[in-house]
Amino acid sequence: MFCCGYCTPEEEDSQDATSSKKNNSSLGKKMPMKLYYFDGRGTGEAIRQVFKLAGEDFEDVRFSMDEWPKHKADMPFGQIPVLEVDGMMIPQSAAIGRYVAKKFGLAGKTPTDQAWVDACVDQFKDHYTEINKWYYTALGFANHGDKESLYKSVYEPARDKFYDFLQKRLKKNGSGFLVENSATWADLLIADHMHTILQLKPDTLQRFPEMLAFKKRVEELPQIKKWIATRPKTPF
Amino acid sequence: MVHYKLHYFGLYARGEPIRQVFALAGQEFEDTRYSMEEWPQHKADMPFGQLPVLEVDGELLPQSMAILRFVGRRFGYAGKTDVEQAQVDAIADQFQDYFNEFKAYFVVAVGFAPGDKEQLFNSVMIPARNKMFQMLSQILRSNGTGFLVGDSVTYADLLLSIHVAGMDGLTPGFANDYPRLLEHRQRVESIPALKHYLETRPFAPF
Repeated sequence: MFCCGYCTPEEEDSQDATSSKKNNSSLGKKMPMKLYYFDGRGTGEAIRQVFKLAGEDFEDVRFSMDEWPKHKADMPFGQIPVLEVDGMMIPQSAAIGRYVAKKFGLAGKTPTDQAWVDACVDQFKDHYTEINKWYYTALGFANHGDKESLYKSVYEPARDKFYDFLQKRLKKNGSGFLVENSATWADLLIADHMHTILQLKPDTLQRFPEMLAFKKRVEELPQIKKWIATRPKTPF
Repeated sequence: MVHYKLHYFGLYARGEPIRQVFALAGQEFEDTRYSMEEWPQHKADMPFGQLPVLEVDGELLPQSMAILRFVGRRFGYAGKTDVEQAQVDAIADQFQDYFNEFKAYFVVAVGFAPGDKEQLFNSVMIPARNKMFQMLSQILRSNGTGFLVGDSVTYADLLLSIHVAGMDGLTPGFANDYPRLLEHRQRVESIPALKHYLETRPFAPF
């Protein structure tokens, strides 16, 4: 089910049918991992940034809105991003982010550090769900009502709660990053989200100077700075 | 000897999958359950002001899925290879999305919010359930081992069996259209360590 979908269930037992369609060539050369997402940052960007920060190659497949419906059925949960690794399809942005970050040493060094990275990512996901009605309306993906009143009733309280916790965490950790002494994928994910938020509402994080400094710190990482300067420019 | 202390409410909800990993592993842990009256006094102690939190030798780890993955991996119930681990994570994340999808029905069904339970069941719960249960049945069918990932129980299986059991308690027959999932629940609940745990655990409404 998680495989690339080339073989239908009836072909599972046929070695010839599957091996001729596998990504790995018989020369044993490792194919780079392949990320399928939209032509945008969204939930795919942090994954791309993990590859970039690690200096690792990957195939950056971007579906247009017209192309996407034709590929939906190929994806394990009918959604993207999906990472293809040696013919196996891994869905869900956080599962992919963690898998890639772990491979390249950007997921936390000890088990408890890794749990903290996960906890920051999950807290961010909860925040993302909480602000969704305003966020999607502001980005033009949905219409849940008046943008300005949603900003006040939905975004502002969620923002204050979330960034208060993160600033507390940054202070406790003391390195300028959320976990350990260097950037992990949790830092990349949150800094990229802040980028979109500030595009929508440039003044909204004025109460959080440490978070603004944190965002700048992540964006100044040489590999990230280079990627930001050269990546496709997209509204989300 | 590592000391584990789970801080949660007296509910299954977001704590039960974690408890069941400890049960499978035969690992002792302090199962702290806060009442609704006590909880406000402890809220400020928790890193993100919420429960569950797992205290591991004094360090407080928040977020239910981060905790579940931490204990799952530590005790070998999280997938055997890195790709399997990612697949287990993906199913767990899909569950979180699914829970968010039917939350509007759930809060009314358990009495946390006013609303038309029947109407929400039909408009919100059933479509979400069908989409998720079809995908999970398909995963079970293609994996072919009786478990969702690999050939042995992982916390993805626990999330599913706990959900099916819980929803069946709320609405008997909830998963009856999905025999593969009913069978899966039986299989998981018959694992000896879990069977014993289920017979002896404290009751919770959900």
